[in-house]
Parts: sequence; C-alpha cells; structure tokens
Amino acid sequence: MRIVAWIAVALAAGACREPAARPPAIRFLHTFGPQETELFNTTMAERGIAVESLLAPFARGQQVISEILHAQNCPDLIRIDATWLPGLVAGGLLAEAPAALVALDWTPEAAALAQLDGVWWSLPQSVDGLIVLHDVETPAPASPSLADLLAAARAARARTGPYPLGIRVDGYWFVPWLRDEGGELAAPEGIAGEGAVRAMTRLAALFGDLVPPPPPSGSEDPEEMRRWDAHEVAYVITGPWQFAGLRDRARIAVSPLAHAPRGGQLLVVPRCAKHPGDGWRLAGELTSLLVEARFADAFAAVPTRRAALDAAPALYRAAEAALAGAAMLPRVPVTPLLFDDLQPALWAVVAGDATADEAVAGVRRGWQRLTKPVARPAARPAAGPALAPEAR
Amino acid sequence: MTGARGRVTASLRWRVLLALSLAAMVPTVIVGALAIMRARDDVEREVDRGALAHIRALGAGLDGTLQDARRTVELAAAAWADAPDDVRATQLLLKRLRRVVPIVHALAILDPAGTLEFGDPVPANLDVGLHSFGGYIGDAEYVDGRMVVHLVVQARGRTGELMGVFVASLDLGFVRVQLADARLGHGARIVVVDGAGVLVASQGARHGAEAASGAHGPVSLAGTDPAVDRALASTVEGTLSANGWVSAYRNLSSYQSRRGVRWAILHQQPERDAYALARETTRDTLVIGGAALAVALALGWFFATRLTRPLAALARHADAIASGSTDDPPPVHGPGEIGLLGQRIDEMARRIAERAALQSALARGDRLASVGVMSAQVAHEINNPLTTVLGYAKLLQEGKPDGHPDRDALGLIASEAERMKSIVGGLLEYARTPRQPERMTTASATSVAASCDPAAVLRHVGALLEPQLRRTRAMLAIEVTATAPLAIEAHALQQVLVNLAQNAAQAMAAANIEGGALAIAARPAPGGIATLITVTDEGPGVPPADRGRVFDPFFTTKAAGAGTGLGLAVCKHLVTTAGGSIEVGDGPNGRGAEFRVVIPHAG
Repeated sequence: MRIVAWIAVALAAGACREPAARPPAIRFLHTFGPQETELFNTTMAERGIAVESLLAPFARGQQVISEILHAQNCPDLIRIDATWLPGLVAGGLLAEAPAALVALDWTPEAAALAQLDGVWWSLPQSVDGLIVLHDVETPAPASPSLADLLAAARAARARTGPYPLGIRVDGYWFVPWLRDEGGELAAPEGIAGEGAVRAMTRLAALFGDLVPPPPPSGSEDPEEMRRWDAHEVAYVITGPWQFAGLRDRARIAVSPLAHAPRGGQLLVVPRCAKHPGDGWRLAGELTSLLVEARFADAFAAVPTRRAALDAAPALYRAAEAALAGAAMLPRVPVTPLLFDDLQPALWAVVAGDATADEAVAGVRRGWQRLTKPVARPAARPAAGPALAPEAR
Repeated sequence: MTGARGRVTASLRWRVLLALSLAAMVPTVIVGALAIMRARDDVEREVDRGALAHIRALGAGLDGTLQDARRTVELAAAAWADAPDDVRATQLLLKRLRRVVPIVHALAILDPAGTLEFGDPVPANLDVGLHSFGGYIGDAEYVDGRMVVHLVVQARGRTGELMGVFVASLDLGFVRVQLADARLGHGARIVVVDGAGVLVASQGARHGAEAASGAHGPVSLAGTDPAVDRALASTVEGTLSANGWVSAYRNLSSYQSRRGVRWAILHQQPERDAYALARETTRDTLVIGGAALAVALALGWFFATRLTRPLAALARHADAIASGSTDDPPPVHGPGEIGLLGQRIDEMARRIAERAALQSALARGDRLASVGVMSAQVAHEINNPLTTVLGYAKLLQEGKPDGHPDRDALGLIASEAERMKSIVGGLLEYARTPRQPERMTTASATSVAASCDPAAVLRHVGALLEPQLRRTRAMLAIEVTATAPLAIEAHALQQVLVNLAQNAAQAMAAANIEGGALAIAARPAPGGIATLITVTDEGPGVPPADRGRVFDPFFTTKAAGAGTGLGLAVCKHLVTTAGGSIEVGDGPNGRGAEFRVVIPHAG
C-alpha cells in the first residue's frame, strides 16, 4: 500500500511539473540523395538533434536556394555545391562562419574551398574533383598529363579490350581538356576561342577510340560499374564519389589528373536564418570527426578535417593527395550556369550532330545571353486553341 | 475423520486440477500470445507491403503518363529548335503536339529570355526564362475550375544551343481517372498531393481536410496530415501510423515542385480497418484458446476425480480396517500404482481378518476350556454315584422275577443311568482334550508345540471310516494338497475329522441318501499361514438358523437319544484349542453341508 502511495505521489509530481520546452527543430535545406538523407536522419536521431529537412534536387539546387532566400523563407543551414558559393556571396545572402569553427583542423583544399576572397563563408563538408581511377595492378600513368594518360590507356588496350578509358560526356569532364589547351571555363572571354574548339574536338574524338560510345543519358553509372567489374576498363576519369558504388575497394588505386577541376560540398548559413547559431551548430555536427567518418565510409566523401582524413582508409588519403594538384573552377557566379549550355553542346559534338566549331559558337551565344540580357520581342500567334489571358 | 478425509481428497483433487490447468494454461497462454503478436506483426507488415505495392503501381502509372508527355514534348522541342524561325512548321508542330498528348491543356513556346513566341500565354509567376532549368513541372494550379500543372522543357538545337522553352499545361484530370481504377480496402483512400501538399486527386474515403474545406478550390493537406508532411520531406517511400490512420507514402519521381519537392502519392486506411484481420485473429485465438482451456479444465476435473476416487476408496477401506468393521468392503480398482496399492491393502485386510478370526477363536476356546474343566469336575463327581445307582438298579432288577411290577421300573432306572454315564463320558472326553491357548497368545510359551502331517492323518481317518461308511453306503473321497505340518495333535485332528465324517454319513443315511459323496480335502489356506480342511457331504445340510449353534454343547438335531450334542462341541473345542477355527456352510452347488476347518501351520 505504501509503495502504491509513493507511486501515486511520484506520478502526481510528474504531472504537475512544467513540460520541458522542446528545442525548435533546425531547418536544414540540403541536396542529399535518398541514401544520404537516410544516413543523415539516422545520425541526427542518434545524436538527439531535431532537424526539419528541406530537400532540393542537386540539379536545380542553385535556383531553388536562390528563390527560397529571396522569398525570406530562410532555413538555418544549407548544403550547397562549391560553385554556387560566389553567386550567394555576391547576392549578400550568406553569413560568415564563426571563428571557433574556422579554427578547426581543415585540410588545405577544404579550407580553400570554404573561403572566398579570404573570407570564411562556409564550412567544407566534402572535397571532390576529377582523378584517375585504376586497378591496383594496372600501372599508373607516367605522369598526370592527358598525353601520358592516353598513352597508358592505349598500352592497356591489349589487356582490356578496345575501350580502356572511361570518360563521361559532361561539361565537368571537359574542363581538363579545355585547360590543357590553355582555356578556362569562365575566363573573361568565356570558352570561346581556338583552344575550346581544339579541346572539344580532342575530347569528342576519344569516344569510339579509347572510350566507348556514350550510353543513353541516365545510364552512365551502371554502365561504368559493369565495365569496371568486367575489367573492360583500365583507367576511369571520375571522382571519389565513385568509390561507394564499386564492389571491391581494395582493387582501387588513384592517380592525379592534370588540369582537373576540384570542388566539393559546403555548409552555409543564410543571413536571413532565424537561428543562425543552430545552423552553425548543425554544421559543426556534420563536420565532426564521427559524422565525416560515417559519410566517408558510406558515400566515399573525402573528409575535410585533417584528423578525420588521417583516420580514413588509405584510399581516401590517396584521393585527397591526387586532388591537391587540381584547381577549382573560376569562382564567379556564372560558372555553374555555363554547364547548362556546355553539356548539350558536348553531347552534340560527341554524337556527331555538330562540329566543335558549331557547338562552341552556341555555347558562346549562351554565355553572351547569361552576361548580356536581350530585349524581349512580342509574342507570335499560336497554333490551336489558346487560353484567354484573363483565364490565367 | 470423514471430514478430514474429505478435505484431503478435495485438496488433492484441486491440486491435481491446478497442476493440469497450469500444464494446459501456460502453453496455451504462451502460444496464444505468440500467435497474437505474430499475427499483428504479419498483418502490419503485409498491410505496409500491400499499400506500398499499391502506390508503387499507381505511382508508376502516373509517372509513366507524365514521362510520355514529357518525352513527346522534349522531342517536339528538339525538332523545333533546329528550325525555330519557321512559323508554319512551328504552328503545325504545336497542333500535332496537342493531338498526340491529349492531357495538354495549353501550350506555349518562349525564347531563351522568357518571352512568349508561340501559343498560349504563360502565367507570370512561372518565371520561365534564362535562369530556369528544363524538364520539370511546378505545383498544381486551378485554372478554369480544373487542376493543371506546367511542364517546362528546354528546346536545344542540333548544336546543343538553347533556342527556346516549351511550356505545356497538363490537365491533371488523368490523375483522378487513373486513381479511379484503384481497388481499395474498407475505409481506405489514395491521395496524390503536389510539392506544396495541395490535394491533386483522391479516391476512396474523403480526407478530413478536404471535407472540412467544402471541396471547392485547392485544399492543402500540409500541416494537417503527418503522413503528407513526412512524404513531402522524404526522398524515399515509407509508412507511418498516426492519428488512427495507417499511411504508406511514396514520391512521384517525375513530379516535383519548382523548389524541388517531389509530389507524393499516399495510401491511407484507418487502423481499425487495416488491422481488422489481426483483430479477428486475436479474437479467434482468444476464443479457441479459451475453449481449449475450458476443455483442458474439464478433462483435468475428470482425470483428477478419476485419480482421487480410488484414493478416497482406499482411505475408506483403511478407515474400515482401523475401526475393526467386519463388513467386507468392495475391492479397490485403480490404474497403475493406485490399483497395486488397493490390492496390497485388500491383502492386508484379509490377513488381518484371518488373524482376528483366529484370535477370536482362541478367545472362544479359552472360554470353552473353562466350561470343560468345570464340566469334568462335575462329571467326575457324578460318575461314581451313577455307577452305584446303575449297579444297584441292575442288581435289584436281576433280583426280581419276570413279571414283577418293579422290574420295568428298575430297567428304566438302569437305562437312564446308562444314558447319564454316556453323557458324563462325553463331558469327560470334552474335558480331556489338551489346553494350548498360551501358545497363540504369548511368544514366551515353553510348551512343546504340537505337530502333525495332514496327509497321514487323513489317510488314517479314511481307514477308520471305511467299515462304517460301507454300511451307510457313502462314497468317501480324500484329497490332500497341503503338505505343511499342522499345529495340532494328530489324534485330536483325527477325532475332529472322524466326528465330522460320521455326522455327515449319519445325516445322509437319515435322509435316505445312498451313495452320497463324502469328501475330505486339505489344501493351503489363503495367506499361507494355515491349512484349510473341508468335509462336505450331500446330505440335507445345516439350516442357516442353526449354524450359529451347532457347535454349542448339547445342541443336536438328531432324534432324542440318538446323540449327546457334544460331538461338534468337542470338534470345535479341539480345533480352537489348536489355534484354528471351524465353521459350517452350504456344500458345493448349494447341496449338503460343508465344514471348513482352518488349522495354523506348526512352527
């Protein structure tokens, strides 16, 4: 009876106590994929951090983020691609990172990625870029140069078959060839010029020679996996993100690629965030050694903290070393937009629908549209029934 | 005593019942609980699987419809981009596009700067232009009372250059049409929401938010339904139980809002309907388990009663033995060890009864011996005067001439005196038998134990009786299967058997039975401590009313003067003096008489 009385008293006391105020959930806008989202949710649940996630597809992340920030519907933290940082900084949309977080043991590549003009506008979550991936038993190219890579690939042809090299039809993959010809993606004059034409010609010529004809758009990943597993490829130009999808990581060796682009993912806190402190706290969690190790293990993200990198498998340290010689894309707001035009132009040349001259000219016109808005002409008559304007 | 025994029996019965009940109840409860939990888990899993499979199929259909439209528009846009300035070809293309893609509600072509070039006006808020990416749709909008969505496709020419943007407004009525084919469970519904949570179409039970809004105009379920919120925040499929509803959700990969949030399709069903099978399984399990338990209890009661009934009978049996009851209780039958115990108790009771009978006989023997001693003294004192009376009576009779009036009276005195001497002789015979009661009552007896061979005695008795039986034409049969020496003097046993045989022969003769069988048999008595000797005849037998008195001295059923009434009394005296017993009953098959003499074994 006495025990029952004590229990009743305890329950009454508990009922009378003021409920603890629940901390508000941190609003986090990210571009994670489905698996990354699940791991993120699990990790936050384990660490007791309440997060309200907002998703944005990576392909349209920059546009979505810009719209959200201009609408003042601000999240507390955003994960962005490094190429988006200049545009957001130029718009005055971001807050500077706290000194305590800036002072952490970031790798030099990560630190460079997170800053713009010497100011820390972000915390680096991962570093990536293009490297050469090959089997541990396949000799590394004599040097990082494209010429030596192609020579090594030709030498491996007898062992692997007709297409020993893996390259994607993607503007990002075009960058090393463009730089090898002395060009740059977002140089003041754009990519126009003889260098760009030569680069596009050289790159397109590889398809059907050392590189197999490109698979249909959207099936690049599984086709690369299949060729790797079947030992049909000796060298693949790709990024560290590819490690996660390959079956036997012990088979993988990496080598640097001359003129390779380097980038990564950044965590930024918008200036309009209601709880910027919470945003930076979540950024600190996501760049903690434990979480970096988890993401590195699951998604082959190269850690950005020196301690996390030192504790990571040798493959990740080799990738980081290979990326040390890579150069970031021009850090101007228009850079990511160039890929929208560059990508289909490259496809057109590889597919033989257009010459490199024609494709580069189209990209140049697109560049001009991006930098010099044109006047809008009047609409021409439509075919078929049209909705009355007032109906809209 | 009876109450205590009843309590013991009841307690034992309840204990047995409790044990059997526990034996039945524990596995029943465990198995039942496991079955209920398993059924619940299985049903939940199957509900989730079924709902997810349902929305996967429906979602694939919706995605497929949109993808078909998207690819067709993309192909048209690519074809147009190669000749963007050909007005006639453009108008023809738009016409064909409307025909080929029936869900197109409005169609427009904009230049890369977002200026309308062909087709229907585009909503200003769509913000299609230089900075927009292709291949996406926005959120649902109400236009002219119908729900539409805008598909934006970049038009890139042969060289990959952006030549314009196609904007196709798609009538979302097809979503409602495709959902109409869904076969739903009781109370279930399918809901499709856009990236802002606005209800695009539903099938089945109406959503609460939809009903509350009056169903006019767009209804947003965001913030009103946790499952919708979960679906819009997720990039994968999943399930959720909240607010009494079981929801399965999945993103529609081809549909996403301008801010990138994918639309979702949800299958929702009230928990009470979704898990009805689990509830029915639970109910059935409880009913079957309860019935099984009731049957187990009934069987337990039956077996407990059956098990304790022989024990109760044994207890009554033991009580009867303890109280010295002479009633012969019915034998106790039971299974296994209980039956064996009953047999042992029956055996014990029989031996105790025999021992008691022997002790009773001994007690009677003592009393009769006392009477015999007194009778012997009286007979001795009477015998001498009788001899004098008889002598003088005969002398006086011899002194009287024939025809003298006193001669008959003196002859009568002499004959009565003769009869009195015969009686006195019998009394002396009765009193002359040895007295051995101490041998049975004390272990410290110092007298030499009597002993005889029953086979030898019976053979000698047969020889003695043969002449007499020849006269009476009785058929004597002797059977000896007992070999153990008997604790009785041989001449005493011989006298007993001769007396019994003579009585039997006289009885058959008196009844004019010639050639009647007279059997004397000696065989081991039950219990192995004595020998049973039976003397049977085919005479008229001893009436039951007389059986209690035939061993009393001077009791006779013979004609007056034909017997002294001391023969059976002497037999009984001799037998009981030896520690045995004698009784009379009906002969075999109910004919004649049978005298049963039990003599203990010597030693």
